[in-house]
Amino acid sequence: MRKLVTMLLCVVLAITQIAAQTRTVKGKVTDSKSNPVPNASVVVKGTTTGTTSDANGDFSINVPASAKVLVISSLNYTSQEVSIGTKTNITVSLVSTEQDLQEVVVVGYGSKKKSDLTGSVATLKAAEIENLPFSSVDKALQGKVAGLQSVAASGQPGASQNIIIRGISSVNGSSNPLWIIDGIPVNTGDASRLQTTSNLLSTLNPNDIESISVLKDAASQSIYGSRAANGVIVVTTKKGKGGKTKFRFDTEVGQSNTAYTNDKYKPLSAQQYLDITREGLVNAGQTPANVTATLTALGLGNGIDFNWLDNVVRNGTQQQYNVSASGGNDKTQFFLSGGRFVQDGTTINSRLTRTNGNVNITNQATDKLKLGFSLNGGAVNQRAPLAGGAFGNPVLSSYFLLPTYSAYKADGTYNLTSASLGGLHNTIALSELDKRFLRQASLRGSVYGEYKILENLKFKSQYGVDYNVLEEDQYNNPLHGDGAASSGRAFSYYTRYYNWVWTNTLDLQQNITRGGDLSFNAQIGYEAQKSSGYFSSLQSQQFPPTTTLTYPASGASPTTASATISEYSFASQFASAAVNYQNRFVVSGSFRRDGSSKFSPNNKYGNFWSVGGTWNVDRERFMENVKFITQLKLRSSYGVNGSNTAIGNYDALPLYSFGSNYNQLPGSAPANVGDPNLTWELNKPFNVGVDVSILKNRISLTAEYYTRTSSSLLLSVPLSRTSGFASATRNIGTLKNEGIELNLSVVPVQTKNFKWDIDFNFANNKNTVVELPGGADIANGNFIIRQGVPLNSFFLREWAGVDPATGDPNWYADNVRGTKTNVYPGVNARVLAGNAQPKYFGSLNNTITFKNFTLSAQLYYNYGNMVYDTWGGYYTGAGFGATFNKVARVLDRWQKAGDVTDIPKYIYGGNKNFQSASTFYLQKGDFVRLREIQIGYNLPKEVLAKAGISSANFYVRGTNLFTWVKDKNLAFDPEQGTNSASNLNVFIPKTVTVGLSVAF
Amino acid sequence: MLLVIVLLVTASSCKKTFIELNSPTSLTPEQALGTEADLQVALRGAYAGLRGVDFYGRSMPIWGDIMADNAYQSALNTNRYTFFNDYSDTKGATAGDGNVSGLWASAYSVILRANNIINTTVASNANVDQYRGEAYAIRALAYFALVRHFAKPYSDDPAALGVPIVTTYNPDLKPARNKVSEVYTLMVDDLNKAYTLMTKYTNSSQFSKYAAKALQAKVYLNMGDKTNAKTAALDVINNGGFTSLTAASHASYWSNSVVTTSKLETLFEVSSDAVANLAFDALSYLYSQAGNYGDLLCADDLYASFEATDVRKALYPTGVRAGLAAAFVNKYPVIQGDLSDTKVLRLSEMYLIAAEASLPGNEADALTYVNYITSRRGATAIASTGAQLFEDIITERRKELAFEGDRFHDMQRLKRNIVRSTNYPATSRTVPYTVFRRLFPIPQVEVDANPQIKTQQNAGY
Repeated sequence: MRKLVTMLLCVVLAITQIAAQTRTVKGKVTDSKSNPVPNASVVVKGTTTGTTSDANGDFSINVPASAKVLVISSLNYTSQEVSIGTKTNITVSLVSTEQDLQEVVVVGYGSKKKSDLTGSVATLKAAEIENLPFSSVDKALQGKVAGLQSVAASGQPGASQNIIIRGISSVNGSSNPLWIIDGIPVNTGDASRLQTTSNLLSTLNPNDIESISVLKDAASQSIYGSRAANGVIVVTTKKGKGGKTKFRFDTEVGQSNTAYTNDKYKPLSAQQYLDITREGLVNAGQTPANVTATLTALGLGNGIDFNWLDNVVRNGTQQQYNVSASGGNDKTQFFLSGGRFVQDGTTINSRLTRTNGNVNITNQATDKLKLGFSLNGGAVNQRAPLAGGAFGNPVLSSYFLLPTYSAYKADGTYNLTSASLGGLHNTIALSELDKRFLRQASLRGSVYGEYKILENLKFKSQYGVDYNVLEEDQYNNPLHGDGAASSGRAFSYYTRYYNWVWTNTLDLQQNITRGGDLSFNAQIGYEAQKSSGYFSSLQSQQFPPTTTLTYPASGASPTTASATISEYSFASQFASAAVNYQNRFVVSGSFRRDGSSKFSPNNKYGNFWSVGGTWNVDRERFMENVKFITQLKLRSSYGVNGSNTAIGNYDALPLYSFGSNYNQLPGSAPANVGDPNLTWELNKPFNVGVDVSILKNRISLTAEYYTRTSSSLLLSVPLSRTSGFASATRNIGTLKNEGIELNLSVVPVQTKNFKWDIDFNFANNKNTVVELPGGADIANGNFIIRQGVPLNSFFLREWAGVDPATGDPNWYADNVRGTKTNVYPGVNARVLAGNAQPKYFGSLNNTITFKNFTLSAQLYYNYGNMVYDTWGGYYTGAGFGATFNKVARVLDRWQKAGDVTDIPKYIYGGNKNFQSASTFYLQKGDFVRLREIQIGYNLPKEVLAKAGISSANFYVRGTNLFTWVKDKNLAFDPEQGTNSASNLNVFIPKTVTVGLSVAF
Repeated sequence: MLLVIVLLVTASSCKKTFIELNSPTSLTPEQALGTEADLQVALRGAYAGLRGVDFYGRSMPIWGDIMADNAYQSALNTNRYTFFNDYSDTKGATAGDGNVSGLWASAYSVILRANNIINTTVASNANVDQYRGEAYAIRALAYFALVRHFAKPYSDDPAALGVPIVTTYNPDLKPARNKVSEVYTLMVDDLNKAYTLMTKYTNSSQFSKYAAKALQAKVYLNMGDKTNAKTAALDVINNGGFTSLTAASHASYWSNSVVTTSKLETLFEVSSDAVANLAFDALSYLYSQAGNYGDLLCADDLYASFEATDVRKALYPTGVRAGLAAAFVNKYPVIQGDLSDTKVLRLSEMYLIAAEASLPGNEADALTYVNYITSRRGATAIASTGAQLFEDIITERRKELAFEGDRFHDMQRLKRNIVRSTNYPATSRTVPYTVFRRLFPIPQVEVDANPQIKTQQNAGY
C-alpha cells in the first residue's frame, strides 16, 4: 500500500519506456465476493511498468516478454503477486485487510493469527459493544464471554462493575482483571472517595472500541507478569482507514425503570402498617390506652398515606449520540469521534452524563518508519445517592419511612421536621437540598514510532498516558438531614491518578527452514510504568441558614484540610517466542520479569512465564479427506503469573506514621509491621482446550478445562497484641479454581435471505480454599473463609421456621440440625449455607436475519448461588424496628395457634431476635434474564444510495426486560455484586430504547 | 539490533531507584527515631496513644466508676458500657468484648511507643533524658491500667498471673503472663528511673518528675506498701511545687478544658484538644447532657453524700432523664472545640494517699491530710478515729475522685464487695469481690494468637 503513490508516479513515467518486445495481458481485479475493485495498481514485478484497474476492475497492460510476475495492490487489500506464465487473461481476487484482521487476534503486546494461538483468548468485536445502554464497557461484557462473570451491584449509572474471570483467586486483593487499553495498563475501578460508587471506565466511550480480547490462561496472560492473575482484558480502539472519508452517526434514546420487583416486598400502606402495629402492640402486652397512644404517635388518624417507594423510583430517560469520521490516504489515516451519553437512574438523585472525544492518527513517514498518535478523552458528571443504611439513602427511606409520614406538608412545601419523619430523613427533599456530585475526566493517549530495521525485524517504542481526575462535592444543608447536626457541612475532594507507561519492543519473524515449514517469531521488550495518585480533601461546617451556598468556602469552621500522594512503579523486561511447524504444530513461550515498588526489598523482582502448545489437527494430511471437519485444534498451556492488588503501595516497609498528634503538635507512632519478604500472590494456571468446527462452520464448539492454584496469598496473620500490633500481612494461604467452559455456535438455517445464528456459552467454576494461616477459619461478616470450602461461603445460623403452636421463630440450636430452639443460638450454631458465587452461568444468544430485518435475543442465566437480604431484619422482622415501615411479606405472620407460615408472630419491638442474621434472610440467587432483545431493520441500499447514504439501521431494543427468579422470596434484584448481598442500592434498570445508525 | 538490546539492558539496570518508592506520609522507624527532635515527636505519639477510646480517652475513667457504685447507665442510653453497668457471674462482658480488647491493644500499643523511646540509641542529654523519663512513666501507667483490670489485686495474691511484660519490640513474640508482683516491680522500677531522668515540667498534659512520683505513690498504695506510698505522696506535696485546689477555684478548675502550665492541682492529665480528640467518642459525650449521648449519671447515694456547702456538689446538677430525676455529671462539660481532658493524677489524691497510708498508727497525720481536702471543699471536717477514720478516708476518696476512674480499683485493692444504689439493675446491685467478672477476660483475639496465654485465661471466662 505504501508503494501506491510511488507506483502511480512510476506508471506515468513508464508509458514512455514501453519497449517493442511487449505483449498485452488483460484481467480483472475483484474482491473475495467477486465485486470489482477499481483503481487497483497492477505492476510488473521488479519494474516500474504498470497500470490501474478501471471502474469495473478491468485492466489491460503491456508487459515485456521477460515479465514473469504481476503485483496487484489496492488500498485496504492485501497485495498479491500473480505469475503471468503464458496467460493473457488474469482474474485476481484480492483479500480485504479487514477480513484479514478477523483472522488475527489481539493479544498482549501485539497480535497473533488465530491458528497460532496456544492460549485461551475470547474476542469481542465493535458491533457487540456499540450503542448499548450501559455507562461503561465492563457492563456490556455480561454473558458475552464464557467464564467471564460481570456483575452489577447497583443500578446507579456509572457504578462500578465486578468482573471475575475463572473464579476468585485472592482473599484480600481485588478480583478485577487488568485492563490494557491500546497497550497501556490503565487504572480502573472505583477511584472516588465520597461517592458510594464510581467507575474509571465510565469515561471511556464503548463506541470508540474496535475490539476486546479477554486473556484467560497462562499462555496469553503471563506476558503481563505480576498483574495477570485475574485475567487481562485488552482493548483496542478504533483506527482510521484510508480512502474516502466515511462518516457515521449513531443515536439511541429510551427509558428505564426497575428491572425486578417482588410484590411480597412492597412497603405497606398506612392502614396496613397501623393494623399490624396495633396487633404487635397488643401482642407485646400493651394496655389499650398505650396502644392508642403509640399508634397516634405513629400517625393514626392523621389521614396521610404516602407511598415513599413510588416517590423514590421513577422512569429514567436515556440517550446517546455518537459521531465518527474515518479516512485518509495510503500514508496517513485518521479516526475522529465524539459522543454524548446521558442516563438517569431508576431512583431520584441518580444520573450520569458523559461527553467524549477521540483522535487517532497514523502516518507512514518513510518506508521503514510508522508513527502513531491517539488521544481519547472523556468527562463524566455523576450524581449518586447514598446507599446502604444511610438515612440519606432514598431507597432506604422508601422501605423504612412510615406511610403516615409525608414528604410534603399540607401546603406542598417539604416536610423537614425530623420528629414527623420518625427521626429519619426526607430524602425526597434532600434530593433537591443536598448535593452529591462527581466530575470525572480521563485522558488516555499514546504516541508511538515503529521502525522496520529489517524486513522481518521491527522496533516499536510507545509512550502512553492514562490520566484521571475526580472532583467530588458533597453538601449537606443545615436545615435537615446529615448536615443538621453541624449546621450544614460541605466536602470537596480532589483525586488524580497520573499513570505513564513507556514500552519498547523488538519483534522478529524468521523462517528457519527455507520453505517456511518451520518459522519462528519472537519479541523482547522493556516497560517502565509509574502511577501517581494525588489526593486533596477538605471539609467545612457551620453554614449560613440557606440551601443555596453549597461549597466549603461558605462554611465557618474548616474541619478537614489534607493532601497526600500515593505512587507505585514497575520496571519490567519481557520476552515471548513461538515456533510454528507447517501451521500444524505451534509451541509458544513467554517470560516476564517484573520489578515493582510495591514489592519488598528481598523480593524486588519476580519472574513469570508460560509455555503453550497447539496442534492444528485439521492441517494434517490424514484430515484432508475428512471433509465435514473444517477446524480441529487442540491446545494447552501452563505457566506462572501473579497478582499484587492485595499489596498496598507501601505495605512491605515497617513504618512510623504521623498524625498521633498531641496538643496540636506532631506525634508519631508505629503504623505498619512490614515484611521484608512481602511479595505478589502467585497464580499457576493450566488450560487445555479444543476448537472444532464442522459442516463449513455451521457448528463450532470450543471446550476448555482449566485449573489454577493461587498461592502465597496475602492474608492478615494475627499477632499477639502485646507486640503493639494486631496483625501483619504475610504471603500465606492457597486457593484453587477449577472449571469448564463451553462455547457452542450453530447456524441451523442459512439461505440467501434467512440466517439463524445460535450462540451458547456455559461456564462452571469450583473454588476451594486450600490453605489458611494455621488452618484457622477466618470470620468475614456473614461469610466464612475455611479450608476445604469455597471462598464467599455464607456461614449463618440456620432458620428452622415458625412454631405453629406459639408463633415463635425457631432456629437450629446447633450446627448438626439436631434440635430446634426459640432462643437465638450462639455462634457455634452457624452452618455453611451456600455460596455467593454461582455454580454456573452463561448465555444463550439467538440472531435471526431475514432480508433486511434482524431479530436478536440474549438470555443470561446464573445458577447455584445465594443472595443475602442485608436489611431484611428491619422490613420483614416480626415487629423489630417497629417504628419503621414493613413490607407486604409480614402480612403472612403467624396469628393463631395452628397457623403454618414462615413469618413469626408480630410483636412490637421484635420477636426473639427474629431480625438477627440467619438463613431466613438468605435466598436462592438463580435467575434467567432476557438481557437483550432487539429488532433491527436495515434500510435498503438502493434507497439510501440516492441520498448518498451507504447504510442505515433502525432498531428497537429491550435490556433486562424480563427477569425470572427461582426463589419467590427474593427481595431485590438477583444481581447484587460478587458478594451477593443486597444493600438498598439504586435499582438495576430495565431499558427500552430505539436507535438509529447511519453511515455515509 | 545489538545497540537496541544494549540500550534496553542499560535502561533497565540504571533504574534501580525507579522501583524504590517511599511512603509520602510515613517514615521507617530508623528515620522516625534518629534524633533528639524525633524522640520528642515520638513521645507525643505515646501520649496521643493514651487518648485511645478504650484507654484514658474514655473507657478507663468510665470503668473505674460504672463497675463500682458511682456512675450508672440511664435507661435512655446509646448501649455503651451496658455489660459493665450490669455485670455478675451470669452477665457481663465476654472475652470477645470490644472495649476490653480495646484496652489490651491500646495499652500495649502505647507500651511499644514508649519502649521505642526508652530503648533509643540517641546520645543522652538533658532533653533525651527527659523524653526517656516521660516514656518510662507512660509505660508504668499503661502497665498499671492493665494489671489492675486483667489481674487479681496485689493485695490479694502477688504471685497471681499478671500481664505479659514486653519491653522490646518483636512482632513475633507470643509472651506468657508474668506474675502480678513482677509487673509491680517493673512499674516501681520504671517510675524510679522516670523520677531520676526527668528535670523539666512541660505542662499539665505531660509527665514530670513529681507526676511520676505521684503515680508511684498510687502504685505503692495498691501494693499495700504504706510507708513508701506515704513517702512518695509527701515528696510530691512538699517538693513538687504544685498548688492546691481551693473551694474558690474549684468550679473554674473543672470547667477548664485547656492544658495548663500553672501547676495548679493537676499532676498529669491526658489532653483532648480542639483537633486531636475523639469527637463523639470522647469521654465528655458520655457524661454531658448537652450532646446526643449523656448515657451515664451520678448514683443517688453518691450525690446524697455531698453536703449542701460542699463545692463538689455543684458538679452534679440535677434534672430529668428517661422520665426519672437524676444527678448529672459535670466534671467533663466541654463537648465542642477543645474537649475536656482526662484527669489522671491530682495533688488532692496525694493528700488522700498520705492520709490513708498514715493508718493505722498515725491518726493525727491521717486527719491532717484528709481534712486538708475537706477544708478546701466546704465540707465538714472528719473527726473519727480507728476503723471509722479509715472508712471516712475511703469515702472521701470516693467523693473527691468520683468519675475519674478510681473507685472500682479501691474496691479491688480493698477486696470489697460492691454495693450499689437502686439506680443500678437489680441483677447486679451487689457485686461480691468473688464475682469473676471483676477481672477482665484476656481478649479472645489475644488468646487466639498467643498459644502461651491460651491456658492462662482468667477464671470464669
